[in-house]
Order: sequence, then structure tokens, then C-alpha cells
Amino acid sequence: MTNYCSTYILSYLLLFMILFVSCKQNEDKYHSLTDKIKDKSNPYHGTSIHSEKYLEDMDLIEITEGEHTFLIPERKGKIKSYACIECHSKPLDQMQNSVDSKKAHWDIKVMHANSNTMNCTTCHNGKDMNTLTSLTGNKIDFNRSYQLCSQCHTNQFEDWKGGAHGKKIAGWVPPRASMTCVNCHNPHKPSFEKRWPARFNTQTVKERKEELEH
Amino acid sequence: MSDNKKWFSLNLNSAKKESSGSCSCGKTSGGCGSHAKSQISDEEFDNAVDTAIGDERKRDGFDQVFDVQMDRRTAFRKLTASLLIGAGAVSTSCSITTGEESKEKAQIDWEEQFKGNYKLMTNDEKKGTVDRLVRSYQLRTGKTISMTSENAEEDVLFGYAFNISKCQGYMDCVSACVEENNQDRNSQMQYIRIHEMKDGEGFKFDEADDNYYHEVPAEGHFYMGTQCFHCDNPPCVEVCPVQATWREDDGLVVIDYDWCVGCRYCMAACPYDGRRFNWSTPEVPEKEINKNQHYLGNRMRKKGVMEKCTFCVQRSRKGQNPACVDACPTGARIFGNLLDPNSTIRWVLENKKVFRLKEDLGTEPKFWYFMD
Repeated sequence: MTNYCSTYILSYLLLFMILFVSCKQNEDKYHSLTDKIKDKSNPYHGTSIHSEKYLEDMDLIEITEGEHTFLIPERKGKIKSYACIECHSKPLDQMQNSVDSKKAHWDIKVMHANSNTMNCTTCHNGKDMNTLTSLTGNKIDFNRSYQLCSQCHTNQFEDWKGGAHGKKIAGWVPPRASMTCVNCHNPHKPSFEKRWPARFNTQTVKERKEELEH
Repeated sequence: MSDNKKWFSLNLNSAKKESSGSCSCGKTSGGCGSHAKSQISDEEFDNAVDTAIGDERKRDGFDQVFDVQMDRRTAFRKLTASLLIGAGAVSTSCSITTGEESKEKAQIDWEEQFKGNYKLMTNDEKKGTVDRLVRSYQLRTGKTISMTSENAEEDVLFGYAFNISKCQGYMDCVSACVEENNQDRNSQMQYIRIHEMKDGEGFKFDEADDNYYHEVPAEGHFYMGTQCFHCDNPPCVEVCPVQATWREDDGLVVIDYDWCVGCRYCMAACPYDGRRFNWSTPEVPEKEINKNQHYLGNRMRKKGVMEKCTFCVQRSRKGQNPACVDACPTGARIFGNLLDPNSTIRWVLENKKVFRLKEDLGTEPKFWYFMD
């Protein structure tokens, strides 16, 4: 009788062990992807590749905003008629009224918010054209024009600093380089325009027609 | 064609037979090339097979192919044919009269034919096959391509985020993807789909238009893109019968185009319509070929194999963003290393309200959507 009993117990033990082992093998170490990311990135050792070589030919400046430090394209060098005071030698009100001065910037029409909110002087200082001006009259460098935009577009500014808004330059590896506001948005007419898609798949259209016929 | 019928026809019990005298090429008179004089007619063949194997004719599949009974004449004919092919191959590679180049070609083809699964290769073997493919391309076209076999970087797990409020449906990403990844221009293969959906109706993929052609963004619509999501628990990998697709250590789900048998199980298993099949031989004009290639990425494919988005492995493993991210004019696409706590993708995941498609399936896609 004892012999029978011990065989019984032994076989149960064996079964239990097999179940235990086989379950263990199929069990993933992580419950979810988020757990895995958290666990595997602590500590994070960095990568052996860097994006410097993709940024070599670009004229970039480093900025620090809050806890984020990254590169943005240099702006002044891209403005065709900088420095502005090459033409704007006198304060704007004097230039506008003089007969002999050339007409300029005739193609710029502000289509940004409404006229109650914005006109030229919201961002430009007629007496000092080489810099931009904040709402409180402080100077803002053309290279840091994002500081001007961020006065109203605070949500976009937060997203841009973190990396959710705005296009990245070159690669995903550090150092990070991001486009600044004016690289994608024309400050005088900031919204994106309607246009035709870059691609049209005629094959898909044909296949759909054939499917309908059958 | 009568001696091939056993393998091709699967409707076993249908008694419908082609009338003797016509052949599969449709001609009723004259030869179509496959009808040799010595061949027996359909009826004679059927009778002979019936007497020989009887009920066993109704078997199908594996048994039928490997356990086939044939008469001595067919067996000899098949043996002779395969011997001739073998002898031909040997004579090409060993003959003194053929040129060095064709010998080298034959050698490369031989080694390529019998190489193993890329997943199991050592680094030297990977380099070997890449070198052979580059040399083979050079011998055949006279052009030099650069192909790499970089492995996954340590401490890297690729992730992707897509901003639905930013996408305007311009399809610049689709265009860039086709050019970057040497996709077939004939069948207009595309890895990315941009779905145009009606405002206020949520995600209705069956009603969405993914091939619109009008000015965008269209009034009352929003846009969202899908492609391979590089699931962390990919169902496509589970079903592959030959292990031609797998998940790399940096999270990319890749395909060995030379190991794929084209069964399309993975295509059926993917809940996201992420995989594409080459129904015809992919054709790319020589001057449009992207010569910067990766074995697992944009190298030239063959007819009858699967392909899909690889997060541009040839770019991402060098530190660059995939072509779609680079091309997007709205900044709706964000790519990066999920394991880097300072990466922008991590900031998006931690600070925006993100979601994934069909999360309840447990596939764990590494492709998140978010809104402003």
C-alpha cells in the first residue's frame, strides 16, 4: 500500500515539475513593452554611432531651453538682405515718408492672426531693424526667433522643446538637431497651404476597378 | 502536360478532363513545345495510372509528391533530364573554354544557392554573401553598389511616433520611401499607406481612402499613416514556416529575401496590412536605383518574395532617420531610440497622449499615434 502511495505522489511531483518548467519557458520576462523599455534603458550606455557627420555641412547653433539642449539652424546668414540696417539707416517712420527711398517688402502681407492682435511692430522694432522685439519691448536676436513665437504659441513651444513638434535634422542619434519655427513656417503667413499629393498609385485604381467588375 | 497533372490539379474528384489533342497553351494543332512525340495520350495515361495505383490517386499534397509511383519510362526520362542539368552546371563551372567571368558568375550562383539562413550566419558569412551579391551585380550590370550587413547596435530599440494632427496627406513620405527602398515601379509597390478619413467618424479603415488624388488637406478630413509597426511580439514571425522573417535585437522585424518561400502566411497573420508581396519581378530603372543598400533592407528583391518597411535599416543603423521621417514636410513623423531616456521619442511617449492600433491583440507595436 505504501509503495503504491509513494508512486502516486512521485508521479504527481513529476507532473508538477514538468508543468512548472514548461510554463517558465513560455513566460516572457516582461509584462509589457513599456516595462521592457523602462528596464532596459536603466542604465543606458549610449550608442557608438553619432550624427555629427550628417550635420557637418550645416550651420547650426546650440540652444538651451529649460532642461533641453539641442541644435537649431543659424538664421541670420539665410536672410538675403541682412544686416537690415544696410537699408534701414533711418527710423522707419522717416523712411516711409521720404520720396526718394526705394519701395521694399511690397510682397509681404501679414496673414498671421488678425489686425487687432498683430501688425509689423508686434515683432519688428521700427527704430532698430537688426533685431526683433518682444511684446514687452525687449530685444530678440534673429537667430533665436523662436522666443518671439513662444510668447503666444506656448503649447507648440513645449512640444518643440521636447521633440513632439517640428522636424528633426539628419538623424536620431545625439547630438539632436531640430528645425526652428521659421524653417517650416513663414512668419508672415504661417499656416500650411493646400497642394496636390506627391504620389498617385494608378495601379491601385486599376485593381479596385477590376475588383468591382468581378 | 499530362504527366504534370498530378501536382497541379487539386480538385481531385472532378472528372473534367481536357480534350485530348489540345494542350494548356490553347492550341489544338501543332506543337506548343512541351509535347514530345513519345508521350502517351491523356486517356492512356489515366488508365495506366488507375491500374497502377487505383485509389491512391485521390491523395494530395506531401504524400502525392514524395510517395509517387511512376512507370519506368517516366522515371528514366526524369533522371536523364536532371542528370543533363547537373552536367551542364558542372561543365560551365569547370570548363577551360568558358571565360573567367562566367565561371565566377557560376561560382557565385552556386554559393548563393546553398548559403544558409541570414539569421544563423556568422559575421564573416554575412560579409561573404554581401560581397558575393555586390560582385554578382557588378558582373551582370557593370555597376557598383554598396551593400552592408551592419548588425543591431547595443542599447538600441527603435520606435516611431506619428502625429495625426500634423499629417496633411501630402504623401511625400510615400514618394521618398519608394525611391529609397528600390520598390517595384511597375506594380507601384508602396510600404506606407496614408488613409484619408472623415472628421468625426474615428478610425474607419474600410471607409477610408488610401489612394486619394485631389488637393490636400481636403475639407472635413484628417490623415493618418500606416506601415509595418515592427511589433515587439510579431505574429508574422510566429507563422513563418521557414524562419525567413524575425525580430532583430534593435526591434526591427526583417526578412531574408533569399530564404523566403513566398507562402504569404505572414501577410495573412499581420493585423495591420504591413506586408507586401512581389507578384511580379520588381523593376527599377537603372538610374533610379538607390545603391546604398543593406542585406535586410533595400537590396533588389525577386519575384515571389515578401517585403515591407524596415524602418530603412540601411539608414537607421547608420544613425540617420528613415526616408519617410526625412521627407515629411510637417514634422508629423518622429523616430528614435526607445532606450535613450533623452531621446525625443521617449519625450513623446512620456508627455503626449499616445495610443497604438489594436493594442488588445498583444502584438506590442513600436509605432505610436498622438495628437497635439
